[in-house]
Amino acid sequence: MAIPTRFATPSMAAPPSSAEKDRTVQQTDMDALVSRCSAVQTGYLTDPTKAIDQIVESFLSRPFQGKKQIISLGAGSDTRFFRLATNKSLQLLYHEFDFPQVTSRKITAIQRHKELATIISEFGQVNPPEDGSGVPGFRVDARAGSLSSLCYYIHPIDLRTLKPGVPLPAGIDATLPTLFISECCLIYLSPNEADDIFRWITSSFGQASESNSNGVGIVLYEPIGGDDSFGKVMIRNLSQRGIVLRTLQRYSTLERQKERMRVLGFNTGMGACDVNFIHNEWIDSKEKERIDGLELLDEREEWVLLAKHYCIAWGWIEQHAASGSAADLSFQSWSQFPIQRS
Amino acid sequence: MSDLDRAIEQLRQCRPIPELQVREICFKAREILIEEANVQIVDAPVTICGDIHGQFHDLMELFRVGGDCPDTNYLFMGDFVDRGFYSLESFLLLLCLKVRYPDRITLIRGNHESRQITTVYGFYDECIRKYGSANVWRYCCDVFDYLALGALVIGAGSSVQPTRLVDGEDAEAKVREAEDEVEIEVIGLGGVVTRQMSRRDAGMINSTNLTPSALPHLSSSGPAGALLTGVPGTGASGNSRGIANANTPANTGGAVLCVHGGLSPLIDSVDKIRLLDRKQEVPHDGAMCDLLWSDPEEIDGWGLSPRGAGFLFGADIVKQFNHLNNLTLIARAHQLVMEGFKEMFDSSIVTVWSAPNYCYRCGNVAAILELGEDNSNSVLRSGGEEVLFNRENTRRLASTYMGGSMKRGGPGRRYRVFEAAAQDSRGMPSKKPMPYYFL
Repeated sequence: MAIPTRFATPSMAAPPSSAEKDRTVQQTDMDALVSRCSAVQTGYLTDPTKAIDQIVESFLSRPFQGKKQIISLGAGSDTRFFRLATNKSLQLLYHEFDFPQVTSRKITAIQRHKELATIISEFGQVNPPEDGSGVPGFRVDARAGSLSSLCYYIHPIDLRTLKPGVPLPAGIDATLPTLFISECCLIYLSPNEADDIFRWITSSFGQASESNSNGVGIVLYEPIGGDDSFGKVMIRNLSQRGIVLRTLQRYSTLERQKERMRVLGFNTGMGACDVNFIHNEWIDSKEKERIDGLELLDEREEWVLLAKHYCIAWGWIEQHAASGSAADLSFQSWSQFPIQRS
Repeated sequence: MSDLDRAIEQLRQCRPIPELQVREICFKAREILIEEANVQIVDAPVTICGDIHGQFHDLMELFRVGGDCPDTNYLFMGDFVDRGFYSLESFLLLLCLKVRYPDRITLIRGNHESRQITTVYGFYDECIRKYGSANVWRYCCDVFDYLALGALVIGAGSSVQPTRLVDGEDAEAKVREAEDEVEIEVIGLGGVVTRQMSRRDAGMINSTNLTPSALPHLSSSGPAGALLTGVPGTGASGNSRGIANANTPANTGGAVLCVHGGLSPLIDSVDKIRLLDRKQEVPHDGAMCDLLWSDPEEIDGWGLSPRGAGFLFGADIVKQFNHLNNLTLIARAHQLVMEGFKEMFDSSIVTVWSAPNYCYRCGNVAAILELGEDNSNSVLRSGGEEVLFNRENTRRLASTYMGGSMKRGGPGRRYRVFEAAAQDSRGMPSKKPMPYYFL
């Protein structure tokens, strides 16, 4: 089954009295959904999606024997779990965090689509029942907007509540090598709230439980720039719709993104590239030729301009391998990604 | 007031005209266009414009900056439709002006003037939205098939008359500097002269010293405001001397080729463009496609285009083509340029971009290019186009420049740079679609 990067969720009445601003940010997920659906229809995923796929792939494919964990912040309607879960031999614990309004919609969608429910039920089971009978392998609390199964969790969490000292939500295993993903999510938080999430991660996984830790990394995909004319127009256009990219000013360049990683604790290694660089250096030429052949692309200059205003940034902490062997490090390979010199 | 004048008035208000009238105007336009050559001959003075892309209010700003039609003689290099919210009003207004003043406005075809492209990039949907059927889109596409593929501007002067400002010491100093012959003048935002280059500086111009940040923002009510009122034949027309002097290789009437995209490996002379059968949908490949899709690039020779149609071509290609065809310049559009215009390859080719803040999100300024007339009235001009562009004659002229050491000057050119129309005057629907960002 070809799975688009986002899947449609049934529309529902506006949530009662939750803050208008939150709803505006939640709505951005639907914008992303619409543009990705059209990208998928045309036959290509966006370059940042592929770049994050490469980073995730690299994390999952290291020789470390045993389970790994991915935690997707502000996952919205993202379908990365379902795409990964088509590989049944993968040992993976997958979590998604988002506003309860968003998670309930996603859970409703999952319950309506048997294929998705089956993927969740069967993923991680050693011997799934062949006829698909029996108790579904996941539990849902529809009111709370939560879902839990053997290897897949949806947590209704307002990310702004996460700060050092807040315990890990149920089901998260701090001893697994863990990768956090934020795709255009943290940028909507205040700079302090976003920094707190970094500190919450590094204190929960990196230092506090150092003896048990098997490394933690994060990958971000978000806008940069804002000082030039394109960026100013972007800020103005988005603000007309009530969207404010709150961390944009603080983390406006590749250098600042890397510094962010270093200062907030992902200090074993870090990197940042703009999406134009990723398109040129990360995506192989065969794939680029395939994309060029899909349709007559008459927006090239515009695309390059746009792509230079989005970045992928990543950082990790990894003290030692459980086995003591460097070959077992989960994040070591991240230092091999082509790096953009600024 | 005739029906046509009424239609023009209504379209100037950005209000669509009835379907039946669109049909009638498209029919009349076709009758005019069918008589035009593949490469239409246009006399200087003329104001050359690049992509518009349905940005109606910015098109109005263009007319404010460049003067109204028919006072100013215009040449639009295609891409009237798609991307912006008002492709229909923009294209129909230009088409009505064409029908009303056929000798004062020239429209050539861009790669977006095509059935296939307009169904992807917005014009088709806009027609359906505004008329409830595809009829108007069909009428317009039938007109697209008759648009010329290029134009040849002849009789352009070798210099522009420097614009003098009423006050401001800096401006005076700039004018004095360029006292001999102004080859290039740039009028930035607010109508302020930001650059004047004498012919002896020619070739020094590039986009880096012309970035928008170098163009001062001034309110249009300033001393320069008078420059914007658009007198007939505004700008570069008039008293340009245009006569060769010791420093200036004679401008022997070399022409300016205008085309939407660029050159084609299948086309080595302007005459070959004339042989094409243009009355068809833009093909996926071949000479006609290349003229509308190709881009200049810093390469040697020809290269594959990442656009999937047309080619990339380097400086050597342009210089040879200009040399063989007695051209002083190629003007083209097709590529977004943040500064509104960009000269390349020792000023042998220029990109003119006339859609400010493209797609309502790119943050770029726009430009138009004014070419003045040559009052020195070269012999060739009086010989008429048949003589001038007869191939043998072109060869003979080209041989004048053999040896290559002699650098031929381009025509005098004035760029007027402008910004997007003010937000509040744009009259956008309050529920306007959002320019897309990855969110």
